Amino acid sequence: MEFFLQQFINAMALGGTYALIAIGLAMIFSVMNLINFAHGELMTIGGYVLFFLLVMGMPFGAALLLSLVAAALAAVAMELVAFRPFRNADIVTMLLTSFAVSSILHVLFQNFIGVRPKAIAVPPAISGALTFGTFNVGVVPLISILASVVSVVALVLFLRTTHVGVAMRAAAQDFRTTQLMGINANAVILAAFAISGLLAGVAGALWIFQRGAVDPVMGVMPLLKAFIAVVVGGLGSLPGAAVGGLLLGTLEVFLRAYLPEGLLPFRDAISLSLVIGIFTFYPHGLFGDADAVR
Amino acid sequence: MRKYLLAAGFSAMLAVSAAHADTVKIGLLGGQTGGLASLDQPLLHGAELAVEEINAKGGVDGKQLELISRDTRSDTGETAVMANEMVGLQVNFLVTPCDGDTTIAAGQAGQAAGIVTISGCASPPILAGNVGDYLFLNATPDNIQATALAEFAEKQGYKTALTLISPDSPYTDKLPQYFATVFEKDGGKVVSTVTYKMGQQDFSVEVSKIRDISPKPDVIVTSAFEPDFPAFIKQLRAAGVDIPVLGADAIDTATTFALGAAAEGVVFATHGFPENGNRLEQFDKRYQAKFGSAPESIFAALGYDLIEIIAATVKGAGGSLDGTALQASLNNIENLEITTGSITYKGMNRVPNRQVALVRVVDGKPQHVEDIIPDASKIPAP
Repeated sequence: MEFFLQQFINAMALGGTYALIAIGLAMIFSVMNLINFAHGELMTIGGYVLFFLLVMGMPFGAALLLSLVAAALAAVAMELVAFRPFRNADIVTMLLTSFAVSSILHVLFQNFIGVRPKAIAVPPAISGALTFGTFNVGVVPLISILASVVSVVALVLFLRTTHVGVAMRAAAQDFRTTQLMGINANAVILAAFAISGLLAGVAGALWIFQRGAVDPVMGVMPLLKAFIAVVVGGLGSLPGAAVGGLLLGTLEVFLRAYLPEGLLPFRDAISLSLVIGIFTFYPHGLFGDADAVR
Repeated sequence: MRKYLLAAGFSAMLAVSAAHADTVKIGLLGGQTGGLASLDQPLLHGAELAVEEINAKGGVDGKQLELISRDTRSDTGETAVMANEMVGLQVNFLVTPCDGDTTIAAGQAGQAAGIVTISGCASPPILAGNVGDYLFLNATPDNIQATALAEFAEKQGYKTALTLISPDSPYTDKLPQYFATVFEKDGGKVVSTVTYKMGQQDFSVEVSKIRDISPKPDVIVTSAFEPDFPAFIKQLRAAGVDIPVLGADAIDTATTFALGAAAEGVVFATHGFPENGNRLEQFDKRYQAKFGSAPESIFAALGYDLIEIIAATVKGAGGSLDGTALQASLNNIENLEITTGSITYKGMNRVPNRQVALVRVVDGKPQHVEDIIPDASKIPAP
């Protein structure tokens, strides 16, 4: 039971991080039909900004906040420079554009910052563990769960109560009609990028708390996981992305925890087979819309 | 004027052909970008410094060294293509990137063409057997590092060990197993083996498995490296597990020393330790002077070693640049003094015996524990 509870916390922590990245991806997809494969690089940008601010001697909390802002600004810049010229272009064109942005950023990081990982000293207060009797839980997983919950609640409030938030939800349903209602498309899309960048920044920080360093290709693996989560949840559905992220994190952690040692090398194959299993029953993803763009 | 031009052209041609005869061509393939860049980039820098210095002193037996390097982008397919390009350029030595797959890909081209091929810093000893009799290793092989770690563990009085392995690469898979072979032969016991996947980042499950083992093992042995090792050690210590950890050469990087309290006390095997004005320390200074920054890792010094080994091979072949002569000469190298220590190929089947330096992380700085030249009879077969 204790082992199970430990793994449950681990699953929620990992799933929560995947969910944050997945929600950002889904948000961009819902307003402009773009699967942004450069989204993972926003995590890396946030990480590098955190690293350089800490090197300059800024206190950890302030540097962390600024790194989130930087990730959001980087997302906005990405939209202005790379994606705006291709607005309404074919989905494949935009997909390839996002791959190009991702590769270009990798090379820039490697050549101007360095190929070696940059270590980030995380304060001892958030790298320790809390002990409750015999039960022991790391601070980072707790922070991950907390940060994911806070981010999602804030996002829901934003989408439900603010003007831009409502416009974004409308745009996700039918962009053309929303524009006809007098909503500024650029403003909605910029807001979507800023929020997705912010979420990527939070996820990047959580990721760095775990690994203690930032390197040029840090964002690739979590992005792939988040992409799977988005598809499982149903392309473009925000609740779907969140559920997909949690589901994928839970699958990964429990397979690692309970598969016999001999089967462990196959765990990715097993978890992805289960994902395919989901598609046989929900071909459009759990929360997907059969009429959505394919 | 026309005559003058002709004469100039003729003498230029002469110069070119003369250079051709008096040049040792070294084709160096490395992942200057992509996943291997953290190993291959410093290696290239070290090699460049060595070539520059040796040439400035008149080369090897009057022959200048010519380094032709290509960025393989850490891609196995590209590496194979570029290896064939190097064969076409008629290089005398082919240097392959720092991992197993790319070394096998490029090594096959070198093997078929009868060119002495050396892996820049790949360390799985099985590689030499996989490719053939023209493939040599440069770095301290995994089985020798593992033997040194086992000898150290026994000296510390450790009786039980846990190994953390990843089947994703020979390095992360085999090195802890070589350790287990030596450790168990000497009466120790490996009580458990925990598996991870390279790049998984989240080690929470593995850490809880390790914490639940009772009685707890005396030591954890792993050849995990970045980004896995920092994530593992942080999460292990965060969970309150204080079992000592032994690692291998791939964590001899700045990241390990920047991990703070988490990495404190970690001991790892590596290729050498700069101190007391030894050759490695002098190398670090000259490197700093040329590139404006200290070497990023020990792999820069391995690049220098590599060129020194090539120079010794050329010398030993007595002026011949023929593949078989160079192969025989390299196989004959014994106790050659190089930047990181000494190296022997004689009788080692192309997998060199090297001195292993053990380093401990103390207050975020490297501290030299000892140098071990493992007892050859103890070294497990690849």
